[in-house]
Amino acid sequence: MSTATAPGRPPAPGAHLARKKRLFFPFFLPAVALYVLFLLVPTVATVVLGFTDWSGAGDTPEFTGLANYSELIASDAFRYSFLNTLLYIVVGGVGTFLLAFLFTMVLREMRGGKVVRAILFFPNIVAPIALGMFFGIILVYRPNRQGLANYLLESVGIDAVKFLAPENITWVVTGCLIWASSGFYITILMAAVDRIPPYLYEDSDIAGATPWQKFRHVTLPLTWDVVGVAGVLWTISAVKIFELVFVLAGPGTYSPPIRSWTLGVFVFDRSFGDQGAPAYGTACAAAVVMILLVSVLVVALRRLMRRDVIQY
Amino acid sequence: MRSTRLTALAAVSALLLAACGGGASGGGEDALALPGKDEYLAAPCPEVGTKPTTGGEFTYWSMWTKDEPQGQVLTKAMNCFTEKTGVKVDVQWLGRKLLTQNLAPALNTDDVPDLFDQDVSQVKAAIVAPGGTQTVEDVLDYKIGEGDKTVRDVLPRSVWDFPANKDADGKIFEIPYERIGNAWWFNKDLITDFTAPQSIDELFGLFDKAKENGMAAVSQDGDIDFYNAYFYTQIAERYVGAGGLEKAALDKTGQAWVADPNLAKAAEPVERLAKGGYLIDGWDAAKFPQVQQRWADGEAAYVFLGGWAPSETREYLAKQGGDKGITYATFQFPQPEGATHRVVEQLPLGFAVTKKAKNPEAAKAFIAYMMNKDILSGIATVADNLTSRPDLPTPESMTDIKAALDSDAEKTIFMDGLDALSGGKWVESVFYPLNNDLLKGKLTAQEFVRQLAAKQAEFWKTNG
Repeated sequence: MSTATAPGRPPAPGAHLARKKRLFFPFFLPAVALYVLFLLVPTVATVVLGFTDWSGAGDTPEFTGLANYSELIASDAFRYSFLNTLLYIVVGGVGTFLLAFLFTMVLREMRGGKVVRAILFFPNIVAPIALGMFFGIILVYRPNRQGLANYLLESVGIDAVKFLAPENITWVVTGCLIWASSGFYITILMAAVDRIPPYLYEDSDIAGATPWQKFRHVTLPLTWDVVGVAGVLWTISAVKIFELVFVLAGPGTYSPPIRSWTLGVFVFDRSFGDQGAPAYGTACAAAVVMILLVSVLVVALRRLMRRDVIQY
Repeated sequence: MRSTRLTALAAVSALLLAACGGGASGGGEDALALPGKDEYLAAPCPEVGTKPTTGGEFTYWSMWTKDEPQGQVLTKAMNCFTEKTGVKVDVQWLGRKLLTQNLAPALNTDDVPDLFDQDVSQVKAAIVAPGGTQTVEDVLDYKIGEGDKTVRDVLPRSVWDFPANKDADGKIFEIPYERIGNAWWFNKDLITDFTAPQSIDELFGLFDKAKENGMAAVSQDGDIDFYNAYFYTQIAERYVGAGGLEKAALDKTGQAWVADPNLAKAAEPVERLAKGGYLIDGWDAAKFPQVQQRWADGEAAYVFLGGWAPSETREYLAKQGGDKGITYATFQFPQPEGATHRVVEQLPLGFAVTKKAKNPEAAKAFIAYMMNKDILSGIATVADNLTSRPDLPTPESMTDIKAALDSDAEKTIFMDGLDALSGGKWVESVFYPLNNDLLKGKLTAQEFVRQLAAKQAEFWKTNG
């Protein structure tokens, strides 16, 4: 007790800094070690293994240079995977955000908007794999015992549609994707919209603005930074699309036909495919392409969305 | 009506059972008298022929789940083996995907099972190719606990001695315990005036008759690529013989597909099947197993499937409730005009031992023990499938398939092994997409082979 500092006298600033410094490494090192061990090393290993021929089943990786990449370029399966992934990112993204914007226009003024928001978020708490199975049942084409979607179509006198046929499946998956993800982005965007001072909308009302004009001149500019972040989030999650396609486009037990593949399905098939020894080397190369794709898209999106932030 | 007949059948079988005391010899009428499941599981354990000298334990990774019929049979086998030898079995029930999802990654470590199972084709592609197995050729001379009989004495050569069951040194890597065949299936209660077709025209005659009777002719789960491949490969094999398709597929120029006109001719019946509207409406817009369930419901007359058709559809019908059953019957593809090879597809399914196994001797002794008639017969009686021993009882629904497999026709594995080429990449990129188009009527037979040739040349350029 005798050594305690006198009450009321602040400790010397140097002492605090010294203590902070002493604590720096005990806090910093475990975090860095874990990060390096579980993120950096696997990523570097993925890049390195992408240059090897390795089935990942007890054999030794063999350096083959860019062979995996030239194989990817020549592979139909990869070409379909790449193009489908781009399609899901772009078309699915445009659809999701259009829907989300539409709802931000409506929900703000709607009575019970909070409840609707909660309901719209529901698909996000269901695993995509379950959604895929669910849509598989809803969309089935089976004369005399149609799935729900075709049953409804037929009951209003429209011919049933072969939703799950290979030539339609990509568009059906896109639709399901939009349905499943828009709730999440509506929630994010609405959180941003709620921050906007109501008097701006009241002003617009007095000026006789239409909902579209309010969206265009108030909502969008004032949520722009959030829209940008949401766009990045969408891109990152869309590059990884896997389960929904795997179960909706195929039987679920085997890989679907290559025409419906995404990069996620491609990497899975090459690592744990139906038949044959795994091809980890090829899978790693494809994973590197995914990393590059997401990096390029995110940087491009950030540049495209760059605006001065409006203070309010 | 149906339920009374079933009850009568059950009563008759029970009587027969009582009469023979469970010692059914199999085949023909006796098939009805197979000892039941409970009887099999309660039967005393047979002796072990070749006992392991080491004792201890071994590990087994299984392609089945514990509650499946095959899982129950294997559980009994393991319990008996432990009882007779004192060797414990450390089993993990991993299911069908164990090779690529469990075993292949485990091969990078020393923590591998001693014993595992799956069909020959998948084991070869996933585990044998990277060198993960050791030969089980020595097991052929192990005794099975029936006097001096060895594994070699009870398994016909065609069950284990074929190229798809050979490793890089030309030695066999698997001892099969189950044989899967495939066939056209129909319900005898619905198709009453059936005569087995002797030509492709007669086959289509059956289909036309089904359509006249207001049924769809053929049910097909179109979202499984390899189900869609049955039609072409079955017919083509009869023109080019066992191994012929694989040879064509390995031709780097792809020209083999157009050089032999029979390969195009084999696609003509498939084109006819597609364009004639024989496939059930919606076959290409549903999810497995919805379409085969429509067959089970009686919406379609025929379905081409492996020997698993009865167990899968029976399970579905049981879940649906009601008293509707199916009297299963099968026939093989008829010989196409001008085809000179009689070919039967089989898919043996058996045990293999890993290269890094710590207790290979115990694992191999267990394989031999599995071949004992009192153990192996469970595959037929409990699991409703064909065993690898022709002298054991046969489930009634499998008698035709067994006759085909036991005949002197050339044997090849399913799809002539095409699905294992280049680790599955050949079918995935070259064959399946074009075959699907053929079955959808988008390609003619000629276009099909021409595009196969072109696509294949392109494929081998980068995968050669």
